[in-house]
Amino acid sequence: MTIDELIDERSNTELLDEFAKREIRRTILSAVAIPGYQVPFGSREMPVARGWGSGGLQVTLAAVHTDDIVKVIDQGDDDGVNAVNLRRLITTSTGSQETSVADEADIVQSRHRVPEDGLDESSILVLQVPVPEPLRGVERDMRELARMHAEADYSRMWVSLYEDKVRNGVITQTTGYPCLVNGRYVVATTPIPRWDIPRLHDAPFITLFGAGREKRIYAIPPYTEVEPLTFEDVPFEVEDADGAHCALCNSSESFLVSLPNSSTWLCSDTDWCRRNRKGNA
Amino acid sequence: MGYVSARGGLDAIHAAERLVRRLRLTSDSNWLEETQILDKLRLLVDRVMSEAGLWDPRLAAAAVRQSEGDVTEAVHLLRAYRSTLPRFAYCETVDADAVRVRRRIVPAFQRVPGDQLLGRSVDYTARFLERTPDDEAREEAEKLRAQGNVGESTDENLGASNDGQTPGESSDVRSPRRLMELLREMDMLVDRRVDGDPEPFDITRSPARPPAPRSALLSSMSRADTGALVNQWYRNILGPDGYLHEVTLGEVRHGLLSVDVAHPVTGESVSVADVRVTEVEAIEDLDDIEEDRTRFDVGYGLCFGHNERKAIAMANLDIACHRDAGRTQLEQSLLLTTDALDSAGFLEHLKLPHYVTFRSMIERKLAVRKASKTNDVREAEHTDDD
Repeated sequence: MTIDELIDERSNTELLDEFAKREIRRTILSAVAIPGYQVPFGSREMPVARGWGSGGLQVTLAAVHTDDIVKVIDQGDDDGVNAVNLRRLITTSTGSQETSVADEADIVQSRHRVPEDGLDESSILVLQVPVPEPLRGVERDMRELARMHAEADYSRMWVSLYEDKVRNGVITQTTGYPCLVNGRYVVATTPIPRWDIPRLHDAPFITLFGAGREKRIYAIPPYTEVEPLTFEDVPFEVEDADGAHCALCNSSESFLVSLPNSSTWLCSDTDWCRRNRKGNA
Repeated sequence: MGYVSARGGLDAIHAAERLVRRLRLTSDSNWLEETQILDKLRLLVDRVMSEAGLWDPRLAAAAVRQSEGDVTEAVHLLRAYRSTLPRFAYCETVDADAVRVRRRIVPAFQRVPGDQLLGRSVDYTARFLERTPDDEAREEAEKLRAQGNVGESTDENLGASNDGQTPGESSDVRSPRRLMELLREMDMLVDRRVDGDPEPFDITRSPARPPAPRSALLSSMSRADTGALVNQWYRNILGPDGYLHEVTLGEVRHGLLSVDVAHPVTGESVSVADVRVTEVEAIEDLDDIEEDRTRFDVGYGLCFGHNERKAIAMANLDIACHRDAGRTQLEQSLLLTTDALDSAGFLEHLKLPHYVTFRSMIERKLAVRKASKTNDVREAEHTDDD
């Protein structure tokens, strides 16, 4: 093979060269070995913009086999435009198959939701991470942030949670709730809703977090302790829908999103909702 | 129920792609040739190559055309293309002194060894918008062509402004000695040269975070968004940050450099490209208590193509960052906030659906309300007790 053939873009459907994939796989291994630690990697530029899932895409491309089945969701929806776009990039460049059923998928790439069901020991959940640094709200200087993580000095995070509670009566952190992983590192749980946090704890599946713009990959291996930071006498609260039901499947057991200024609620996990209507969720 | 979801799905994406492509390709004007972009929009092509960190004028021109002139989009196309290719080799160290200059300005002295070479520059051209009718401009172009040899090299030679009167020195106009050498001879510079040739930090393979080696800072700035660097510079002049001095420029150069790689079989140096670069050396007046106040220091800027604005900002920020020595977060700002694709991509991601996070935010607003009501009731009860 000549160099010209090797770089001929018409015959090349790959989005990443093999060296990059190897580097990302090694990064993933490091991330799994040190749960919650943000491992730096030489994030490449993808055909999607940084901030649009470029990190998750790189993780998926490095982890996926041609015979794998991939599910891609955005906000829980398989048909959201960004999910559709990422899915076609993954399937056309790797030859992998697609599904909307989490149980059938080997890899689920997701922006901001953990599917309601179907993830088991054979599943890889890839979460797209816009901001991997959980402490940025209390510290801007990266040198200091590195020290705080290295020394597990999370005191200022605790102070900020305390101040939040005192000022507002509740802890107002919305999504991406900070969690202590394996008793060691505090992580940003991407902006997944608090609803999904308990489902990361001691989960049978592996969760890989890809932050392309900030060039960090971190992981929660299977059966790892994930504790949302809160106080003994202030219970962690997931989103409260006040007893609402999905207008389509009537569920009150799933994460619901509301329509503006109406009492109509819908499941954010559209495939789960579809199956629930048929009674096989 | 009347619920129309915001999901567009594949059809909408395909429709948007077709619309963009069709309108780009079928507009009524003439086909835009790559050569036209290279010739007529050369500074745009230069800027795209510089911010992409990729020297390939034809690919850059193709990217400019595909992006319909959106610099950041063109940079994205080039960088994403680059991600698909394996890296075969690193070039050998390029000696910046081997440059053949097309333009060279030394503001620090009136007369300098080598010449001032104004070259192709609009610095002193009055900014009048030309309203010459097209047919007249074409006529003028024909006349100029008929005169023959109106290329850049001739004009550049005419741009030599020194009349050969610099005492003593005689030097090739195209390979002038650096002012820095002269300043060293005058013992006016602190010596920061290091021994050996340490491996440069490769920002495309490792994320640079403070504290990072100078090579990481320089390559980050070399690839940075021009506007971002200019802004970093100016916010230190008139904005909230005051971490830099205005420098005196020692060298502003635009010229050609040969890039060589070791041949994989013979091991001999082979030139693989002539790249054009803008290079700047910025002389800094050291005045801090712990600095050598009897001498100057120098900041360095270099980027692909002809982009003096960028190289000057880079050189001034380089020396500012060195002098800052980690006291402020200037280094973090330069390393992490000046990349066009990082900032633009993250800014534009706000257009993505955010209804899960927004739902969670509304829920917390209601929770705060509820908590404050409960609190009011408690306080009222407390008052009653009194």
